[in-house]
Amino acid sequence: MTEKAKSLFQIFKNGLWKENPVMVLVIGMCPTLAVTNTGANGFAMGIATAFVLISSEIVISIIKNLIPSNVRIPSFILIIATFVTFTDYFVRAFFPTIAESLSIFIPLIVVNCLILGRQEAFASKNPTHKAIADAVGMSVGFTWVLTLLGIIREFFGMGSIFGLQLLGEWYRPMVIMLLPGGAFLTLGLMVGIYKHLSREG
Amino acid sequence: MEKNSNLSLILTLVTIGLVSAFILSFVYLWTTPYIEANQAEVRRRAINEVLPGAEEIEEIDIDGEIFYEAYDQDNRQIGVATQHSGAGYNGMIDIMVGVNLDDSKVLNISIVNHEETPGLGARITEEGFRSHFQEKPFGDYQAVSTEPTDPMEVEIIAGATISSEAVIKIVENAVEKINTVYGGR
Amino acid sequence: MMEEFSQILLLFISTILVNNFILVRFLGICPFLGVSKQIETAFSMGLATTFVMTLTAGATWMINTYILEAFNLPFLRYVSFIIVIASLVQFVEMFIKKTSPVLYKALGIFLPLITTNCAIMGLALLIPLNNYSFIASIVFGFGAGVGFTLAIVLMAGLRENLEFGDVPEALQGVPITLMIAGILALSFMGFAGMIAM
Repeated sequence: MTEKAKSLFQIFKNGLWKENPVMVLVIGMCPTLAVTNTGANGFAMGIATAFVLISSEIVISIIKNLIPSNVRIPSFILIIATFVTFTDYFVRAFFPTIAESLSIFIPLIVVNCLILGRQEAFASKNPTHKAIADAVGMSVGFTWVLTLLGIIREFFGMGSIFGLQLLGEWYRPMVIMLLPGGAFLTLGLMVGIYKHLSREG
Repeated sequence: MEKNSNLSLILTLVTIGLVSAFILSFVYLWTTPYIEANQAEVRRRAINEVLPGAEEIEEIDIDGEIFYEAYDQDNRQIGVATQHSGAGYNGMIDIMVGVNLDDSKVLNISIVNHEETPGLGARITEEGFRSHFQEKPFGDYQAVSTEPTDPMEVEIIAGATISSEAVIKIVENAVEKINTVYGGR
Repeated sequence: MMEEFSQILLLFISTILVNNFILVRFLGICPFLGVSKQIETAFSMGLATTFVMTLTAGATWMINTYILEAFNLPFLRYVSFIIVIASLVQFVEMFIKKTSPVLYKALGIFLPLITTNCAIMGLALLIPLNNYSFIASIVFGFGAGVGFTLAIVLMAGLRENLEFGDVPEALQGVPITLMIAGILALSFMGFAGMIAM
């Protein structure tokens, strides 16, 4: 592996575990908690966020030198909002059932601190190919946490995984897992386990 | 030009804004037909569900309210449907209600849109709950938590009293809306 | 008139308790976790947010009704809302700085954070979704702010006491905070059904 590819891979790997946006940076919590009542919803939210994050990091890393520093943040927000609107209309047109279950949390990607945070911390300072590596890494890191959280909540709350009924009639679903309380408790446990694992690793 | 001068700041933002608005207007024009088709499809499915056996469905606008009249192959009217909304537990619930005017009974209901809690309130969409409304006479319904003994009683979902009662209220209002227009005929 | 007033009052109470922005709608989790270490700062944050939320509710209602809907420009909704919120926060910051240095000292550092608080954007998006009138929007915004303040202050109170608790090492910090929030969310479920709107 060449030096360059290695450093890109390092950037990518960062978001997966060591600097995972949800587990370590604790950002983008609203969608993480709100839409993860099923594995499929968590995954869909991850993909939608990934699209916005990757496209805006690309655009911003390209035009970063054209933007005066005083209007940096407003410009970033405008660019992010444009991509979010695009995603919202696209999902509503071609994936109406997903749009229905994610409701206002697609437009709320605009204010997902993860997106703006990465523009500030990374895309505005680095060349495009590095920005892409960062965006993809962060996206994968965000998506796996959301999907896993969704799978756990769906399994205990409905006895199914990705809509596939695994537990039979005998299982009385723990509805609390689908409610806000269950979301907080499950994520709390997940972050606790994560901290425990990374301490030993 | 000075990079942080006021003029350059404004120019930057205006340019980004214009480009953004330009792109988005194309996205809007491109996706709107699909979004409208999706909504029409949802509505069509709901109408077919609440007016079973309809050969032809006519959309009629009476004083700004939309009604769907269903006819069978002999061109006899078999029922009328309308969509009605009301507040549920988390947000608005839109329900399509179909009635048979001949014997003044509800044919079926269909939940078009809702934001109720998954696993609890969201169970209003299940056939098991919706079927309680089939063959109900017009009028005010009574929410009960056990097996109904009276035709005016509707069994609610355990743990989702608010959502169930919201549905009952919306169905009552929808039936009344149809009755004020079509009643006395 | 009486009818309308009681409707508004119901909306206000249900926004605070039944549909609490943080604990039921999951909006504004970031400041809820980040700025809830002390009751005093949590309260200041709540105040600043309530102020901006009430203004946002009115401003976005006007933008939505008189510009976006009047000229049929729904695709500019998110872009324009975020601009309105960002400029409003900027304006409030400048205004407070000029008029009350004491207040600015207390709220100043929180104001920039508010722009990316999903509770504000969520509020702006929920208003057209629910078809609220202008008055109802303002009440909704104010109620949402009060509910936000209530949740964040409660949380801060719990966390202050947690200082004396013996928390397992892996659960210290974020995990225990999330779990407490979970229990708080469960207790808020007790308000469900209090008001049938």
